[in-house]
Amino acid sequence: MRAVLVGLGAVGARSARQLLSSTVVDGLLVLVRRPDHVASAVASLDGRGTVELAELSTEAFLRGLPEAAVVLLAAPVAAPYAGLAVARGVPVVSVADAPEEVRSLLALGGDARRRGVAVVAGAGMAPGLSCLLAAAAAEGMDELHEVHVATAGTGGPACARRRHAALRELVEEWRDGAWERKVASSGRELVWFPELGGADCYRTSRADPLLMAEAFPGLRRATTRAAASRRDRFTSWLPMLRPPHPEGAVGALRVEVRGRRQARASTVLLGASGRPAFVAGTVGALAAELAAARLLKPGAGGLAALAASPRELLAELSRRGVRTEVFEGAGPTPTS
Amino acid sequence: MRLLTRALVAVALAAMAAVVVRLRGTGGTPPHRGGWRELSTEDFVEPVEEP
Repeated sequence: MRAVLVGLGAVGARSARQLLSSTVVDGLLVLVRRPDHVASAVASLDGRGTVELAELSTEAFLRGLPEAAVVLLAAPVAAPYAGLAVARGVPVVSVADAPEEVRSLLALGGDARRRGVAVVAGAGMAPGLSCLLAAAAAEGMDELHEVHVATAGTGGPACARRRHAALRELVEEWRDGAWERKVASSGRELVWFPELGGADCYRTSRADPLLMAEAFPGLRRATTRAAASRRDRFTSWLPMLRPPHPEGAVGALRVEVRGRRQARASTVLLGASGRPAFVAGTVGALAAELAAARLLKPGAGGLAALAASPRELLAELSRRGVRTEVFEGAGPTPTS
Repeated sequence: MRLLTRALVAVALAAMAAVVVRLRGTGGTPPHRGGWRELSTEDFVEPVEEP
């Protein structure tokens, strides 16, 4: 089967390697804005399949669709291309984390269900792995009340630019069945991450609450925060003062799930650590493989809503080198 | 002119106060007990429960 990959940045390149080393995909059409900039990255893809590189345009995208088993969007251009793919019955996976982009993908849900294809919105580290961890933690609970996601670190330059913007945009949090608007970079909370330790985290504009509220009916609260320094917060309203690094260092994810189990309050803390581009690329590639094989539920949503068994996906991600962890030994949760 | 100067001073002071409020301090308490444990593929056979 052939896949169409839009974008070959830090995440897209990792996804491309994973896809080509899979048993599901044996060919890739890579569409990027500037093909001459990624020629060496394409040459380094040493999988067993064929790779074709072309400039990103609607015409090139439409030419690739008839042979495509899945479209993986690893660049912030989701909505128009996703709509074209779904209209032709091709599943779509996007690694985007911006709420507006995810909303536009969720709007394709009706069309996707009618055509029996999956539109996976947010198949990166957060949202993406965060949704799977929340779903895995929720499986052990009788009632799910709250999901709180926190991240540290960034993947490639596009991810760093997105995080910079997310620290200044209005933040939407899910609270008691309604959306509450909050100021970004507010709500400081010390978060203890796997591998990295403690970091001050602040509200950030990311799509995790949107996807959590969709996936878990009856959820009371969903929030998302990101680790940020004073300089990050102070300069978030300015253009980036220096170009972002080609790829960020080790990052981490922490998902706190609260609910009730056997008539008492229960809190489960799950986390992950690793290079965010690797983690996001691996999650995106696995989601694309499942979508291509039609192993995800039809419709639009996050991985928590579309995956038949989130725990099986987490086990597969673990086999592929994504390190997931559980916080234990903190003692029983106070009864609420 | 005097009114304009006063207004500018007020805006500048408000901006400085906002910056201080926005950036000052650190917060929270690190966990006193417990720690992270890496999960293996076998850990995902059963639902992940509160340790």
